[in-house]
Amino acid sequence: MEWKDLFKKTRRAADSQTAGRPASHPEVPEGLLKKCNVCKSAILTDDVKKGYYICPKCHNYFRVHAYRRIEMISDEGTFEEWDKGLPERNPLNFKGYEEKLKAMRAKTKLEEAVVTGKVMINGQPAVAGVCDGRFMMASMGQVVGEKITRAVERATEERLPVILFTCSGGARMQEGIVSLMQMAKTSAALKRHSDAGLLYITVLTDPTTGGVTASFAMLGDIILAEPGALVGFAGPRVIEQTIGQKLPKGFQRSEFLLEHGFVDRIVEREELKDVLSRILKLHADSGKVLFETEPVVPARSQEESEMEKPAARERLSRNPEAWDRVLLSRRKDRPVGTDYIEGLFTDFMEFHGDRYYKDDKAIIGGVARFNGTPVTVIAQEKGKTTRENMNRNFGMPSPDGYRKALRLMKQAEKFGRPVICFVDTPGAFCGMEAEERGQGEAIARNLYEMSALKVPVLSILVGEGGSGGALAMAVADEVWIMENATYSILSPEGFASILWKDSKRAPEAAGAMKLTSGDLKELGVVEQVIPEPEPVNPGNLRHVLGTMRVKIDAFLQKYRTMSGEELAAHRYERFRKM
Amino acid sequence: MIKKVLIANRGEIAVRIIRACREMGIETVAVYSEADAEALHTQLADEAVCIGPGASGGSYLSMQQIISATIVTGADAIHPGFGFLSENSQFARLCEECNITFIGPGSDVIEKLGNKAEARNTMIAAGVPVIPGTTDPVYDVRHGKKEAEKIGYPVMIKAALGGGGKGMRTAFNAGEFDLAFQTAQKEAQMAFGDDTMYIEHFVEHPRHIEFQILADSQGNVIHLGERDCSIQRNHQKVIEEAPCAAISEKLRKKMGEAAVKAAKAAHYVNAGTIEFLLEKNEKFYFMEMNTRIQVEHPVTEMVTGLDLIKEQIRIASGEPLSVSQKDVRITGHAIECRINAENPDKNFRPSPGTIKTLYLPGGCGIRMDTAVYSGYTIPPYYDSMIAKLIVHGKDRAEAIAKMTSALGEVIVEGIDTNADYLYRILGEPDYRAGNTDIEYLNTHEI
Repeated sequence: MEWKDLFKKTRRAADSQTAGRPASHPEVPEGLLKKCNVCKSAILTDDVKKGYYICPKCHNYFRVHAYRRIEMISDEGTFEEWDKGLPERNPLNFKGYEEKLKAMRAKTKLEEAVVTGKVMINGQPAVAGVCDGRFMMASMGQVVGEKITRAVERATEERLPVILFTCSGGARMQEGIVSLMQMAKTSAALKRHSDAGLLYITVLTDPTTGGVTASFAMLGDIILAEPGALVGFAGPRVIEQTIGQKLPKGFQRSEFLLEHGFVDRIVEREELKDVLSRILKLHADSGKVLFETEPVVPARSQEESEMEKPAARERLSRNPEAWDRVLLSRRKDRPVGTDYIEGLFTDFMEFHGDRYYKDDKAIIGGVARFNGTPVTVIAQEKGKTTRENMNRNFGMPSPDGYRKALRLMKQAEKFGRPVICFVDTPGAFCGMEAEERGQGEAIARNLYEMSALKVPVLSILVGEGGSGGALAMAVADEVWIMENATYSILSPEGFASILWKDSKRAPEAAGAMKLTSGDLKELGVVEQVIPEPEPVNPGNLRHVLGTMRVKIDAFLQKYRTMSGEELAAHRYERFRKM
Repeated sequence: MIKKVLIANRGEIAVRIIRACREMGIETVAVYSEADAEALHTQLADEAVCIGPGASGGSYLSMQQIISATIVTGADAIHPGFGFLSENSQFARLCEECNITFIGPGSDVIEKLGNKAEARNTMIAAGVPVIPGTTDPVYDVRHGKKEAEKIGYPVMIKAALGGGGKGMRTAFNAGEFDLAFQTAQKEAQMAFGDDTMYIEHFVEHPRHIEFQILADSQGNVIHLGERDCSIQRNHQKVIEEAPCAAISEKLRKKMGEAAVKAAKAAHYVNAGTIEFLLEKNEKFYFMEMNTRIQVEHPVTEMVTGLDLIKEQIRIASGEPLSVSQKDVRITGHAIECRINAENPDKNFRPSPGTIKTLYLPGGCGIRMDTAVYSGYTIPPYYDSMIAKLIVHGKDRAEAIAKMTSALGEVIVEGIDTNADYLYRILGEPDYRAGNTDIEYLNTHEI
């Protein structure tokens, strides 16, 4: 319909024709609105400030000024700034550099590109350093390197954790080789901090590149990243020019780094303070013995005494049943790694990646609390639905998975946390990529390193214990097995086909292989059998978890009194006997 | 005086405002979404600016777009109508910061009255009767239960930031309390991101009575009598009338004075509405204050002869009220029916689409506020109300007769409407006898 021109319009009031424009006419005051550089929409500056500097329209993350960042993550009024007023340097006598610095200071009201100091985060003390991209793209000159180094040194002295928020274009060209040396200087300070057993967290923000990525950004015990942040060594433009092709979308973004094993977690800005404080608290408590409730009474559960009856013992040792047990261990409704983590622990925080190539989803791991005490939990995970099975590669880990597991175990060792592993795998992944990245090496490395870990290690076989793929997570002080789980040199099908050239004779092979819980107990391969009065399923898991909880508590009580050396010696003897 | 008004709304209220402006010689700017290019308000205004896509989040709710349109067209005031940004204090504050006259109360007043707990405390301090209930926020079910005992059952559990029935539950006894509280709190947390609750006495079968007030920036506050909006479905008003059949002259005076006191306590300026619940024993309680023009404002206009939109514009221009309390005369009886594009037989499912044929009634004492026309396509994005039929008779019986007659003439083809449903309510003996309360549509088979 076009009636627009048919309707008579307003006949203006007489006074409005004569009166001039009012003295104050509508206008948008400076700074009230801003434009999002991604979605281009006009947004209210106030909404952005109140909303963690995130675009309310497209959820793009704006870069955050250093002091705002500190406000966002710290308890109000707790920030105590360190090392203000370091003298500026011009080591190369670079022409115009001093003037540039002066202009930057005037423009940004910052002394240099990093702010350091001590903060409290939900009551947890930490040393924080925040790069501010407004100051020469937060490039690392001598003063930046010096401030970070001093902060880390003081943190080492005062035994405080360090959190660095990275954002940088890399080295500062105007300071040349001296800038390059800051990479080594900051890394060296962090090495001492780490050797003192202290926690270092990095938070990668957009953009983190060059010499900062290749030094303090990638050295965190825990590396967090903001969504969508560009993180890389060489900048994307440089790479494109060098290789002469366009980079795919999402290349070098946080999500890409997570997938490639370099980031533990991507954390939304709204949750950052909470996540940081949880990590700090988990580490402040690591190595301590804590109780959420009364200690679990190591009373014998009904199932346990049930187990000792002759009938039950016989039940375990009857070989004709072996194949049935193999089938039970592979049942689709059998609880998986995540079920045990959820059921036995609280405050689980998953960490990702091997720091070399990939985050393998067939193994999950992180820090959690068992009855209040921080522990490192690692589980082989099959997933429940077909989609999850595919995503988890049916619980068949790649070398990257074993390397992630080892990384988390070494982290546990550093912070004095016991390690609890849940083993459930048909075997290590058999494929080209796995061989290319050294499946054998990865498994061997785990056996080698786990044998001497200086913290208690417990491994529980909860489903299939497939060969080297299982052993790589079972060089423990004690190895336990669920009644209907198995542990074997390879699958009965494989065994039958190698020895008898007939994989159909798998049931027969299962009997000969001595792979049931009863057999394994007899062979001394496992210390304990967790009874399953009925084959475990989601419905009765609760009862099994009850039994497990009592046993794990007893395990921790027994081993936590031993020194690191005693533990390693004990583990050595355990396998030396075999 | 304001010279050019941008109407930050659509539909019949936008048309209503454009007409008032035109009568006053004030130029108008319509804003419209891509779905409203053909809408009447877009065509009727002196200028029209497209501000975004059909979904209101990117258009009628986009403060930045509306402010930009205002600056670009050189309008000096914004009328927000009802719904959309009309009670958004942040939007009112933006207008203030940009030196644009917001035709409504100040942002601080909107903010204060928008928070139900704070509004209630203001009223208690001013001596306006409120439903007995908690004054401090309740977060915990055990604490809540103790408070409920003190207040006396039945009790209503409400979210501090609630509205539209969300985060609201009734408990008739202590046994029902825990579940009701927990459900309401969970719902509030999900809907408003805030689990602050309060508890109050549940008034059984009250009437919804609201008083129209006008307040100028000189400090004059008057009331224009009441509207009875008891005929509601799912907390949505269906039929409104003025005056209320159950209010005596004495009670009207008493409630009107309370309304004026409430507006004064809130330092209110412009047109506003004080909502009360009226019990059968003539006890009344303050519910909330609406800081905007109401959908049902025409019934007050019909019985008082005042144009409320014009009054709003005059007040916003800094002029004093054109009438004083003693000049306000309530004459005859007015009824408004909301005609919605919906199907009462299919659980009132909205019925957008193209109107093929349209015939609307007219005649003595019949007023039709609408923005639809023959051939118009109702977009699916917005509220389903397409027209308001208002009648004015010498008394309630005549008004009902006029409304019945007029409803019988409404012909809308191409979409479904609730016109027959309204017609049936008008024929109900209980409605005709004035035996109504807010549960009417739940307790009567229409």
